[in-house]
Amino acid sequence: MDIIQIILLAVLTFIIAIDQFSLTEIISRPIINCTLIGLILGDMKTGLMLGGTYELAMVGNMPVGGAQPPNAILGGIVAMVFAVKSGLGINAAIGACMIFALFGQYVVTLTFTIMSGFMAKADKAAANADPKGIRNVNLISMCILGGLFAALAVAAYVGGTAAQEPLNELQKNASWIMGGLSAAGGMMRFVGFAILLKIMLSNDLWGFLLAGFGASIVIGASPVGSATLIILAFIGFAIAFYDYQLNVKIKENAGNGNGGMTDGI
Amino acid sequence: MASNMTTYKDLTPAPQLDKKTLNKMVWMSCQLQASFNYERMQACGWLWSILPGLKKIHTNKEDLAASMSHNLDFFNTHPFLVTFVMGIVLSMEQQKTDISTIRAVRVAAMGPLGGIGDSLFWFTLVPITAGICAPMAIEGNIAGPILFFIITFGVEMALRYWLMYWSYSLGTSAIGALTKNAKEFTRAASILGVFIVGALISNFGGGTKLAMEFAIKGTTEPLNIQAKLDTILPTMIPFALTMLCFWLIKKKNFTPVKCILVLLAIGIVGAAIGVWDGGNTAYNALISVPWHS
Repeated sequence: MDIIQIILLAVLTFIIAIDQFSLTEIISRPIINCTLIGLILGDMKTGLMLGGTYELAMVGNMPVGGAQPPNAILGGIVAMVFAVKSGLGINAAIGACMIFALFGQYVVTLTFTIMSGFMAKADKAAANADPKGIRNVNLISMCILGGLFAALAVAAYVGGTAAQEPLNELQKNASWIMGGLSAAGGMMRFVGFAILLKIMLSNDLWGFLLAGFGASIVIGASPVGSATLIILAFIGFAIAFYDYQLNVKIKENAGNGNGGMTDGI
Repeated sequence: MASNMTTYKDLTPAPQLDKKTLNKMVWMSCQLQASFNYERMQACGWLWSILPGLKKIHTNKEDLAASMSHNLDFFNTHPFLVTFVMGIVLSMEQQKTDISTIRAVRVAAMGPLGGIGDSLFWFTLVPITAGICAPMAIEGNIAGPILFFIITFGVEMALRYWLMYWSYSLGTSAIGALTKNAKEFTRAASILGVFIVGALISNFGGGTKLAMEFAIKGTTEPLNIQAKLDTILPTMIPFALTMLCFWLIKKKNFTPVKCILVLLAIGIVGAAIGVWDGGNTAYNALISVPWHS
């Protein structure tokens, strides 16, 4: 019975881990994932109660703008395991799952870093017009994320609340590596920007880059900061459209230039 | 990305994409973040989800390679609104618009959607739905999670469908008129694209901060280096790092992977000596230093 539970737990966690960024992005919410885990562990009532409680706690703690909160997805799963297997109360279980939620976040950081390296493989597949290569990069990524999450969930199941201690110890000693990965991860998007600029930024467009940068600092710090990019899209559109009309007019006038003398001007 | 083609070889507009392909891409769009990563974020998932359309549009292998390559550029938008960008980009691909124009329009369209989607979905719909469904679940009612799924997933999929069809027909009707003056249109699109990238550097890059504080004798407020830098120019470090990568790639012919390794070294060495702010990953420096507690 136990071994079946472990396998089901691993499979479900694997899917839920992927779902937090792809698939539906809904099944991974605590209100649903805790209920499903409860179903597997044979205690759906606890699943519903814990899921509902965790869901309410999570409102306002959404994965927004690329920032990762200590992972609530793994947190919910592990809290369920502790509540059912170790008989902790719901609040105690949510408290005990926190170190796992932190490691869930570490795993996400690690996967996002590793997958940055895989982009070279994707570039190669694209240059060869090979759709299968692109598919494989995506599948590998989902497997890494799902596999690591499943391993942590199984560790919580097998090790129980005692599994917290080695994780706490590891966290204490290796936190600078994860801090560094997190800082470096935040910087890697600058490579993506640089690639975009390499192609779009001709020498006569530098001013627009600086204008966009400056404007986003000002609007980003204002009370309407959350709408920065849409406001700037409007402003940028005005500039670009004006430039378009101006250049079309210049082109048309230049075309008339040869016969311009007859206009009598 | 490796390709330097600016126009497609085969410039005959492809036939309209059929409903079946569009529907398939609506479902594929759910995998947008399948290979999310720090360097290009959703790029690879984006390419994967529009591949059914691209394969139909570019029958010439060289064109397909060029299209796949430029669709691997940095990409990040709201996952539930992505079909809006898909529709426009696909309509441009179908009309074999200049590659640089497609690139620029894609950047201009993806940026603003992030904020709209977050406010609409994560800050409005989900909290309200959770407010209704979570208490039901706490009382042991199985309808709680089921209702939660139906409402949120239903809205999500309805949005994906509607945006795909709307923006595809919008793109088809609008792009043709604008590309009559192709050169001017490409320039205007690049202006908008570059302007938005400038905004993204500060808007997406703001997490890269120093976490150095010096206690000064005789004062209660420690001296915060980042706060001092902000008085000169906020988000100057993200801008400097972007320029560093730009210079390495453009002038020194660095591959993106090499740039990533450089940044990885900067990040980890910096954290070992407690220079960087780890964002929501609080950490202890490897070496004990006076500026990092």
